[in-house]
Amino acid sequence: MKRADGSTFIIAALCVLSLCIIVVSVASGPRLLNPFILDSETCRTLLAIRLPRTAVALLMGGALGASGTILQGIFRNPMADPYILGISSGASLAASLGLMFGISLFTLSVPILAFIGAIATGAAVIILGHGWKGLQPERLLLAGVGIGFFLSALLMLVMTISVDDGLKRAILWMSGDLSMVDWELLPEGLILILSGLGLALTRRRGLNALTLGDDIAYSLGFNPARERLFLFIAASLMTAASVAMGGVVGFIGLVVPHVVRRHVGSDAAVVLPLSVVAGGTLLCLADAIGRTVAAPLELPAGVIAALIGSPYFIFLLGQGKTH
Amino acid sequence: MAMLEFANVSFSHGPKSFMDQLSFSVSEGELLGLMGPNGSGKSTILKLAAGLLSPKGGKVLVGRQMIGSYSGRERAKLVTYLPQQLDLQAPFRVGELVRMGKYPHDGSPGLTVEDALQIVGLHRKVKTRLAELSGGELRRAYIAMTLVQGARILLLDEPLASLDIKYQFDLYRLLKDIVREKGVSVIMSLHDIGMGAMLDRLILIRNGRIVSEGNPDEVITDEIVRQTYGLNDFADAYLASNRSLCRALALPG
Repeated sequence: MKRADGSTFIIAALCVLSLCIIVVSVASGPRLLNPFILDSETCRTLLAIRLPRTAVALLMGGALGASGTILQGIFRNPMADPYILGISSGASLAASLGLMFGISLFTLSVPILAFIGAIATGAAVIILGHGWKGLQPERLLLAGVGIGFFLSALLMLVMTISVDDGLKRAILWMSGDLSMVDWELLPEGLILILSGLGLALTRRRGLNALTLGDDIAYSLGFNPARERLFLFIAASLMTAASVAMGGVVGFIGLVVPHVVRRHVGSDAAVVLPLSVVAGGTLLCLADAIGRTVAAPLELPAGVIAALIGSPYFIFLLGQGKTH
Repeated sequence: MAMLEFANVSFSHGPKSFMDQLSFSVSEGELLGLMGPNGSGKSTILKLAAGLLSPKGGKVLVGRQMIGSYSGRERAKLVTYLPQQLDLQAPFRVGELVRMGKYPHDGSPGLTVEDALQIVGLHRKVKTRLAELSGGELRRAYIAMTLVQGARILLLDEPLASLDIKYQFDLYRLLKDIVREKGVSVIMSLHDIGMGAMLDRLILIRNGRIVSEGNPDEVITDEIVRQTYGLNDFADAYLASNRSLCRALALPG
């Protein structure tokens, strides 16, 4: 498909920028490393800390960017993001219970608990969002918001009655703190995210059509309820994997799709992969800044991403360039 | 040859029967208007024809097959439906929208995106965002998408609503050209009696039943219109002004 003028340049520039930020992310931290000069200690630090952390940031940010693109399309709502599903709330509750009360279900770690919480919540949203006409956007949205509020209230309740030091860890986890990540969950996360992204890419035409409304999508030969279900599952898988790998990171799923569409148009075949690149790059940059700017103190990547991205988003809003 | 046929179609919203034994057909290359008061069943007929609604009884046939028997792609090559409310805020550019008309096709569709945009007069607005188009241009952009889609039956729900007179006539000319040159059958619901008078055929509907059907001159009689719409005061003045406006703007052919 022919791209709008300048889009090819923007895509190439984003890829180059992404590579540069990956190198910076790998190099930066409490001790500055030169990733091109490898001694044994540098290798150890790279393999044990910097590389898994950078990889997780890229995967998480990419998954959230793609999920936001999908959800804004299937809900036809520019405010939709992975949080609207309630999935993050489900993951947060499950993970926080694990962190604060030391819950161990068959030796399940906190990320696994988060993943179970996310998937269970996603399934509940799908069941409640299923009306007599199939999976309807309004029902789905209301189900996500309703379940999200309920689980958030439960989470607050749990945090209020908790007194041990797990509370601080839970708060850090919910702020998108990547300081504890390692290689452990990366293979599973990668598989889930690639599965979700692959599923979404095979449904990219349906995603475009759904953005025009169910009647038009049907007229173009799609089954809107079926397309919405597949795309919702894809977004849920990616969000759940992201939350399980490194905690809750807001903002990226909401803003990245808007920024990408602003520059390259709205065809899902382009916006989906570019949202992965842009979301991953943004979280990678945010994490690099978060662990460097106030070293040895580490600031959560989710907080930094919102601090970097919000002014740009507000600028775009002021220009009337978001969709 | 009948492109679309309603054979004794019944439909109900819930337990209450709304449409009973409705029958009519639409020929190839015909511009048919559906008129009637609000809630008379015009949109329901269009959605039944599109396959968006399923009849409770009877058959909706497209090319001699029931509309529900086609796969999504096959159906999309034959029939397309544009609702009254088109999404002005959809985040696409004109070119991106029109290209979506290719989706039902494995190979090349009947008409290229460039040709379709030329026909609807939007060839200079390929990269314009939908949000920046006027109501008439937006309607034409969606029609360009249906031209690329190559459907043989175009179902339009009140396409003239909210358009000023110039855009109404522009759209009428465009539809007339498509019908004549491409042999497409167009079925549109409308309220404007003057515009209705210029279509090939009209069906007047009330409470899900056909009140009158045929040539516009036969259908738009003062008596039938007055009865169908329940008009009393000012009916004569309204009908007369509509007719004189159309005579003033009369188009060749």
